[in-house]
Amino acid sequence: MGKLRYFIEQSWLLIVASFVFGLLLAATNYALEPVIRQNRTDKLNRLAKGLLPAAEHFVDIGSEVEIESGRGQSEQITVYRAVANNDKCVGWSFNIGGSGFADRIDLVVAVDAAFEKFAGYDVLASNETPGFGDKIKNDYYRGQFKGAPVGRLKVLTTGNAEKIDSEIIAISGATISSEAVVAIMNGVVGQIRERLLAEGLIDVANAEQRSQDSNSDTGGDVGNE
Amino acid sequence: MSDGSALKTGVYRDTLLAGLWRENPVFRLLLGMCPTLAVTAAVKPALTMGCCVIFVLLCSNIIVSLMRNLLKPHLRILMFTLTIATFVTIADLILRAFVPDMSETLGPYVPLIIVNCIIICRAEACASKNGIIVSVIDAVGMGIGFTGTLCVLAGVRELLATGKIFEVAVMPGRFVPWAAMGMPVGAFITLGLMLGLVNLTSKSRS
Repeated sequence: MGKLRYFIEQSWLLIVASFVFGLLLAATNYALEPVIRQNRTDKLNRLAKGLLPAAEHFVDIGSEVEIESGRGQSEQITVYRAVANNDKCVGWSFNIGGSGFADRIDLVVAVDAAFEKFAGYDVLASNETPGFGDKIKNDYYRGQFKGAPVGRLKVLTTGNAEKIDSEIIAISGATISSEAVVAIMNGVVGQIRERLLAEGLIDVANAEQRSQDSNSDTGGDVGNE
Repeated sequence: MSDGSALKTGVYRDTLLAGLWRENPVFRLLLGMCPTLAVTAAVKPALTMGCCVIFVLLCSNIIVSLMRNLLKPHLRILMFTLTIATFVTIADLILRAFVPDMSETLGPYVPLIIVNCIIICRAEACASKNGIIVSVIDAVGMGIGFTGTLCVLAGVRELLATGKIFEVAVMPGRFVPWAAMGMPVGAFITLGLMLGLVNLTSKSRS
């Protein structure tokens, strides 16, 4: 009894403070969590819409796609179907990430409706070296992915960056960041395509036609090899 | 004005001014070096970090001052950390909700305010020994001193690294940006030169 009394005498303030601060944090989180979630969704949609201008809105496919992210670990990816105002699928977008030079790089990637060609990518979060690695956000590098075939991409240090194919020309002085972006793409995009094909979500024959239609409608540069 | 109130006003003024210059947390006490070096590549993130520190410093000083008579000596650091961590988490949630882009820019440095020595130092040195008014004034003085220093450092670095201030171009068109000033090396060089300048000024004054 004496020990318990001593314990309470010594620690009552800590116990009460923990309880009060916990309540305060719970209330703050309860109030702000919907806003934070909405911010993230808005940003994803904004970036994805920039990549697929024909899309009117993005619809979650309903279940997360499980992929192997290396070293025996799996990752759940939420895939969104980009839908035009005539309810036709004009592409797919998803948020993927991996290790960069300085820190993790998070990307929003968009592909065409047939899952054959990249519509491009945008950087959701990165902490690459200013003036070098952070050029993965620039049009020079991002532009090389617009229309590049979904499949194994290769990074070269020299070549013609304007030629759209599976060869990506690295940013001068930022080869590791350039390779990181391609490694993220190579590691994940093919797997997502396989899963969607297996689930019958990609109607290859029709999707290809729709993709071509939407590109000619918007004058988009997807598939301008 | 009675002697007592004049004395109090003097104490308040001294407490406020201490944080701004005489005991400036960055230039004099060399505290909070981690955010000072990490988030001063541009003025906007530096200002946001400064505002977060002012918020946390103010709230933690108020709470610590209120419970100063109840604190057990061997549990005081635990209580300070608990208080600071609570308000840092609140500041982080507010940033993520209302300025999400800035929250991403600052990254882990907002949660790292928990281990910012300025805040725990003020809780220990001032708030746990003084009343609420002195604690609030100390928090405001130290917070403004820290924010001002961060903004000056960030201003120099952003100007030289990009030719811009607050993302507005101010340098002539032929100016070649010094990319290094936006990197960690730029932070060390700028801080070193500023500390040297502050020491030189103080020496020449004395």
